Amino acid sequence: MLAFFGVVMGLPLLFLVTGSFNLSAPGKDAVYGLANWARAFGDGATMNALWMSFALSIIRLIPAMAIAVVFAWLIARTDMPGGNAVEVFCWVAYFIPDFPLTLAWILLLDPNYGFLNTLAKDLPFVDGPLFNPYSFWGIVWVHTSASGIWFKVILLTPIFRRLGASLEEAARVAGANTTTTLRRITLPLLSPMILAVAVLSFIRGLQSFNTELLLGTPAGIFVYSTRIYDYIHREPASYGEATALGSVFIFILGVLLFLYWRFLSGNRRFTVVGGQGYSTARVKLGKWRHAAFGGCLLYLSIMTLLPLTFLVIGSFMRRYGFFGISSPFTLAHWQNLLTDPIFLVSLKNSLIIAVITSVGGILLYSTVAYLLVSRRLAAAPLLEGLCWLPHILPGILLGLGILWLFLATPLRFLFYGTVWGIALALILSDSPVTTQAFRAGFLQLGTDLEEAARVTGASWWYTYRRILLPLLAPIAGAVGLMNFGGALTSISTPVLLYSHQSRPLAILLLEYSVTGELERGAALGLLITAIICVMMLLGRRLGLQLSGLH
Amino acid sequence: MSQPVLEFRQVVKRFGSVNAVDQVSFSVESGEIFTLLGPSGCGKTTTLRLVAGLEEPDGGEILINNRAVAAPQRGLFLPPEKRQLGMVFQSYAIWPHLTVFENVAFPLRVRRESTDVLRARVQKALDSVGLAGLAERGATQLSGGQQQRVALARALVYEPAILLLDEPLSNLDAKLREQMRFELRALQTRLKLTVLYVTHDQTEAMTLSDRIAVVNAGRFEQVGTPEEVYEKPASAFVGEFLGRTVSLEGILKVASTGCFFELTEGDGSIAVGADSSDSLGNGASVRLITRPEDIEIMPMAELAPNQVAARIERIDYLGDRFEYHVRVAGFSMVVSAAKKDRFTVGTQVRLSFDSKRLTLHPR
Repeated sequence: MLAFFGVVMGLPLLFLVTGSFNLSAPGKDAVYGLANWARAFGDGATMNALWMSFALSIIRLIPAMAIAVVFAWLIARTDMPGGNAVEVFCWVAYFIPDFPLTLAWILLLDPNYGFLNTLAKDLPFVDGPLFNPYSFWGIVWVHTSASGIWFKVILLTPIFRRLGASLEEAARVAGANTTTTLRRITLPLLSPMILAVAVLSFIRGLQSFNTELLLGTPAGIFVYSTRIYDYIHREPASYGEATALGSVFIFILGVLLFLYWRFLSGNRRFTVVGGQGYSTARVKLGKWRHAAFGGCLLYLSIMTLLPLTFLVIGSFMRRYGFFGISSPFTLAHWQNLLTDPIFLVSLKNSLIIAVITSVGGILLYSTVAYLLVSRRLAAAPLLEGLCWLPHILPGILLGLGILWLFLATPLRFLFYGTVWGIALALILSDSPVTTQAFRAGFLQLGTDLEEAARVTGASWWYTYRRILLPLLAPIAGAVGLMNFGGALTSISTPVLLYSHQSRPLAILLLEYSVTGELERGAALGLLITAIICVMMLLGRRLGLQLSGLH
Repeated sequence: MSQPVLEFRQVVKRFGSVNAVDQVSFSVESGEIFTLLGPSGCGKTTTLRLVAGLEEPDGGEILINNRAVAAPQRGLFLPPEKRQLGMVFQSYAIWPHLTVFENVAFPLRVRRESTDVLRARVQKALDSVGLAGLAERGATQLSGGQQQRVALARALVYEPAILLLDEPLSNLDAKLREQMRFELRALQTRLKLTVLYVTHDQTEAMTLSDRIAVVNAGRFEQVGTPEEVYEKPASAFVGEFLGRTVSLEGILKVASTGCFFELTEGDGSIAVGADSSDSLGNGASVRLITRPEDIEIMPMAELAPNQVAARIERIDYLGDRFEYHVRVAGFSMVVSAAKKDRFTVGTQVRLSFDSKRLTLHPR
């Protein structure tokens, strides 16, 4: 089991690194040398892309963290009305895939036909387009509305909530007012956790691909992931440079994660921010409470509702941006989309991939998690390390590694360009979250429930079927849905692995976008968003049911 | 004498380099409650889990009803489901997705009992623990005490060879704990159950057990009836673990008139029974151990036999009695006294020891 897992997890990485030293094309006889590295780094564009990756990830972290902290604090620690509603909205916003959202912002901000630019034209002192999404700041802006920020809110809210009420109450009794308590007690106490979330977000931000591809490429702004995509899509494809760049990036990510891990484990301040019980006493905002709620709603509307609305409008417009023409609205794009044979094939592919991914992930990682939790395994730490590997491996690099694996081995006949190959890559990328979910589930169940069944006379298999499986069903359902949704929206992982027979919906959306079929793209983006939102809310409900059970 | 239901022969269980169970031998007779008593981490739960088959021993032999269930030298290990045992876990381990009825019926379903038999036996088991009306309740809708009864019914439903109880009362509040203790004893007597009971609570052990094994660092320090273990602790550890002790250091004097304990410094000698000084010779350095309630405190006068002089240093008023912190020849000790006598701090008093209620241990 471990050996199998090691091979599956480790091989793509291994092939990626060795591939970077291989001078000949994949599948041919290997010739090893440093020329790929030399060429990749002799090219100023490569260093530029690396630099741009870091710059973008750092810059957009600052507003995102500030906003996320404010949201989390308002939801968890204050008497703001509708805090629960805001939290649910954040969840919904988190589920909106970033590619359709980027598309929506293009519809709003494009220099030629963007709605906001058209509006701004009538303002005094404005010549030419006011906004330009195809820029550094455009990318930062779109990321500030994308799921990343809501991900931070979702991570931070429970942290704020868990802070023991007694710690804050002690400060109040000692004479500190609301703001002093917040400034001197709450934030310093939570600062290590907030910092941890920031570092994690930074590292995950480095893996971003979709927005950079849509907004950066037209403006000549490349990050390392779009640069790799560019290398592979050249004629002829430069696999060597792509793998060299990928290897450097993995090295950098590895160092960062190692530092992050050292920082987390070496710092005792992370251990207890407990105190007694949950906080019931909330900070009183007074007359500001309604303003705070309004502010949250306004931010959510501008960042989520507004672009989505224009995605809807865009999908019904004959020609997007031309409101003046006679009968500007049409159903044609939807009709064309839904009757397009390519769409139908892609839909089928996507569903097959998503089903394989979610079912395969559940089977594989529930077993892995069981092995991790039961003490029977001596190699558990190694297995756990392997499970976290895809966490540092951005989708595009995982795709690249797997591409190499397929190209250089007989696996190509089975997997290359097929839905199975894409599903395999997606299953691997789901490893950290899925394993942790099952692991937490097993840990929560404890060993007693299982042992109690054994002592009463049930065999292991009977116990697994009658006790463990029914108890874990909600977790399996929730992660299954999550992974299903992830498989539907992922672009960076399958983008190097698909062929015309196995093209999934997300890639079709990418193609519509780069070929300028914005209206049809808007329709498809909406469709995907709708599917995801329904699935994710279903998943959240399952998750809540589970937590209500205990 | 009847055949032992459970027998341990030189059983060893190691976790890494630690011997969690170290060469332990004992046997449990049919129909008795045998309690493993000890501090946490002493190996008592591991012993129980060895019986259940949830841990594999590294050495020795375990027999249930004269049949070996684990003998590592012979490569023999019977998995838990083949051992016909009932077990109540500390956490109760009630399966949250099943009703009370299904929880209790599970062992019978595993054994493929017919529906009629199953129904009747589950009903009987639920009746015997006083849960007759709650069969269709979800398991998570029960209080702690009710969950515990379900766990008990589930363990009893197929009439196991031994009932294993792993600190079953520790998660209940004090009142309920006392009540369950009596019910458990009544149930055991009525059904003539053989019980192996694990606890760290000496009150539970004293009131429930036919025999107690005091466990320390993987070894059995003493096995005996509650009275034996309390009155004649085999070691200082046993004495201190079961209630409070008072200890004095001195020297053993063996004379023609009997054996005496003499304080190293200060006056007074205490007659000790021959049995507690068996293995010790004349002049041996010894520690005398007795219980605070077995010492009588009296106003100062001429020292009679078995009395020593002491001075009162502090007085605690506990409502139903006084506790005097006294100093005897360099040793501090606590002595309880009824409320009828009253002494003040600084007073010289006599302490009178009971020769029949003390033990000597080598120093």
